[in-house]
Amino acid sequence: MAKRELDSVTRKTARQGLLIVIVAVITLEATAVLQYFYSRHILSEEATRRAEGQLAATELHIANVVDQVETAVHNSIWSVQQQINRPDSLAAITVRLVGNNPVICGSTVALVEKDLSPYSYEQGGEILTSSLATEEYDYKHQEWFVKPLELRGGYWSEPYYDEGGGNMLMTTYSIPVTDKKGRVAAVFTADVSLDWLTELVGSVQVYPSAFSMVVSRSGQIMVCPAETLVMRHTVHDLAASSSDSSTFNSINRSMLSGHAGNTTFKYEGKVHYMFFDSVERTGWAMSIVIPHNEIYGNIERLGKIVSVLMLLGIAMIILILYHTIKNQHNLNQIEENKHKMEGELKVARGIQMSMIPKIFPPYPERGDVDMFAAVVPAKEVGGDLYDFYIRDEKLFFCIGDVSGKGVPASLVMAVSRSLFRTVSAHEMSPQRIVTAMNDSMSDMNESNMFVTFFCGVLDLQNGHLRYCNAGHNAPVLVQESGNKELTVVPNLPLGIMPGMYFTEQETDLECGTGLFLYTDGLNEAENPVHELFGDARMMKTLKAGVESRVLIDTVREAVHTFADGAPQSDDLTMLYIRFMNSMKSEEMERHLILHNDIQQIPQLAEFVEAVADLAHLDVGLTMSLNLALEEAVSNVIMYAYPKGSDGLVELEAIIRKDSMQFILSDNGTPFDPTAAPEADITLDVEDRPIGGLGIFLVRNIMDEVKYTRSDDGKNILSMIKKLN
Amino acid sequence: MEVKITEKDNVMIAALAGRLDTAVSQEVATALQPLIDNADKTLVLDCKDLAYISSSGLRIFLTIRKAAAAKGGKVIVRDITPEIRQVFMMTGFLNLFEIQES
Repeated sequence: MAKRELDSVTRKTARQGLLIVIVAVITLEATAVLQYFYSRHILSEEATRRAEGQLAATELHIANVVDQVETAVHNSIWSVQQQINRPDSLAAITVRLVGNNPVICGSTVALVEKDLSPYSYEQGGEILTSSLATEEYDYKHQEWFVKPLELRGGYWSEPYYDEGGGNMLMTTYSIPVTDKKGRVAAVFTADVSLDWLTELVGSVQVYPSAFSMVVSRSGQIMVCPAETLVMRHTVHDLAASSSDSSTFNSINRSMLSGHAGNTTFKYEGKVHYMFFDSVERTGWAMSIVIPHNEIYGNIERLGKIVSVLMLLGIAMIILILYHTIKNQHNLNQIEENKHKMEGELKVARGIQMSMIPKIFPPYPERGDVDMFAAVVPAKEVGGDLYDFYIRDEKLFFCIGDVSGKGVPASLVMAVSRSLFRTVSAHEMSPQRIVTAMNDSMSDMNESNMFVTFFCGVLDLQNGHLRYCNAGHNAPVLVQESGNKELTVVPNLPLGIMPGMYFTEQETDLECGTGLFLYTDGLNEAENPVHELFGDARMMKTLKAGVESRVLIDTVREAVHTFADGAPQSDDLTMLYIRFMNSMKSEEMERHLILHNDIQQIPQLAEFVEAVADLAHLDVGLTMSLNLALEEAVSNVIMYAYPKGSDGLVELEAIIRKDSMQFILSDNGTPFDPTAAPEADITLDVEDRPIGGLGIFLVRNIMDEVKYTRSDDGKNILSMIKKLN
Repeated sequence: MEVKITEKDNVMIAALAGRLDTAVSQEVATALQPLIDNADKTLVLDCKDLAYISSSGLRIFLTIRKAAAAKGGKVIVRDITPEIRQVFMMTGFLNLFEIQES
């Protein structure tokens, strides 16, 4: 369920992210498009403004010149009228006109009635005069002469090349002159060089690659950057030679119509803009052509750059979004894993709890033991353990605390508990159980976890307690005469190092004495101001003579009250065992465990003296027992185990009213010492063999010697000495 | 366990003190080697302060006794405790050694 929920969260985030991207893209795109078109509009206006301004300026300039010429000519008309009948004087007028007006480079007065046409012109700074009334020129059929007469007014000729006057582009203004009677008597002209026009128009540069053109009213090209076209072609020729002649024809028509305007056309695949206007009176048309690129090139380049940048930006947004969603997904997964982990921890705790005995009282049918245990778990799974069971009328029990917390500790706890069950199944000695557990745990301990552990074996028949401590808190003996800590050799915890030697200890419990075992979660429980519960409070809380369940509940309540709501940092485990057998037998037991090292023999002597003391034996008998046991034990030490290997020798002494029994056991190679031949003590010195005395002494000192090989691979030598 | 050897008038006296158990038997055997080397003389094992003897100790005694028998010497065990005497009796050693009380 959680997974589906989390997935939907991821999907929701993804949808929101996508929405953000789409909105961002639309906004960006709209802004860019708007800006692009606005910029284009401005550029277009700018281009129009520039072109039209330039056209107007140029036209004004042309109009100026035209005005100058027309005014100069008109001002001289009166003189011409006066002198019309005096042909000699007419030349003076034309000379004056040319001389006074730098724009006018030639002038004539051509008479209508007579063949007379004196022509003044400038050449090399001088004004010369000739006559146009020659037979080959026949001025009366020239355009400049015919048109004004037809129009009865001023007329600007089509531009032409004056081949005689130095290859200049020229135009001529001619106007009919009437005599005093009002009849048209002559045509008065002024030639104007158009060189300035070429220069003026050529200098018009609205854009670097824009160009200007001036055409005459008939379409003759007057000014053009392609000089080969000037005066040789008309725009009609150009339109005809073009692949798209209809477009150009219509352009020509509108251009030559005498109106201003603009248009676009495609030339060599590229769009061009054309602005045109007519020049007053002359009938000329001027145009400015600007290639599209020239106007919009920059904005289009900019547009491309902006587009690329925008694409990059969008890509970045998508990338960031992708990562965000992915992170979100990962977060979700972590959350999910946490849920899973918590679930598993719950299961782990369940498994852990199922491993320890929980049914109390555990032995309701038995009157000789009363026990109760409790685990007060901390928040996390911990590594506390306890266990117990009865075998052969002996109560095997243990308590332990694994270093650390959480799943690792609980795993080690599970291992420890299993090991305890496995090892104790065929071991009577707590020392051997602890040693075997330590060896096995140290071998596989790669995580350096250790376990403080206390293991005990209580003989329910006589209250004899054998125990071995491995770094755990000393249990408390709870008795009417006062509580006291059980004497323990601390030893190292389990799992530190293989091959460690653990000391076994023993004591006898009186009927009614209780043994209280606990983990440090008890004495180290804290209250809100970080004070510890401590040993003193614990000792005070433990009361002899109460039922085990009551005692555990009392302690639990005391800790709870003390903690006063402070969080519990560690598991708290308690185990209370009350020995209740009032009919206990008179038997006493003592145990000794030795390594297969001959240097441990003195420990055997101490053990034998202690046992002899308990049985109140005399010195002689003590020495005999010592002698016999030393023979038996040293025999095992020296021969039971292969040389160089480690092995243990266990000796159990049972003291009864009328006898003592010694049970010697080892895990070595099968060997029956009783099978050795009897030594002959009657032989002479020369014949007495050096060896063979050992078993002889055992046999002679003990009353009964019996060897058995047990099912679990032990040599067991039982020796009984009768007392009295 | 202490072993002290003195020689006087061609008699070698080894004073043994403490517990002669299996753990120290090797050491004691080495300490008593001079007696075996001088087995042609009179050898005295002074057991006044010997508290305990194990079978490995008895073996050392027997080794010395055998050497003396071979080389023509004589072994005297002096001042044994009642407990050790009991062991000697049990093992037939009373018949093999000359026991002296000082």
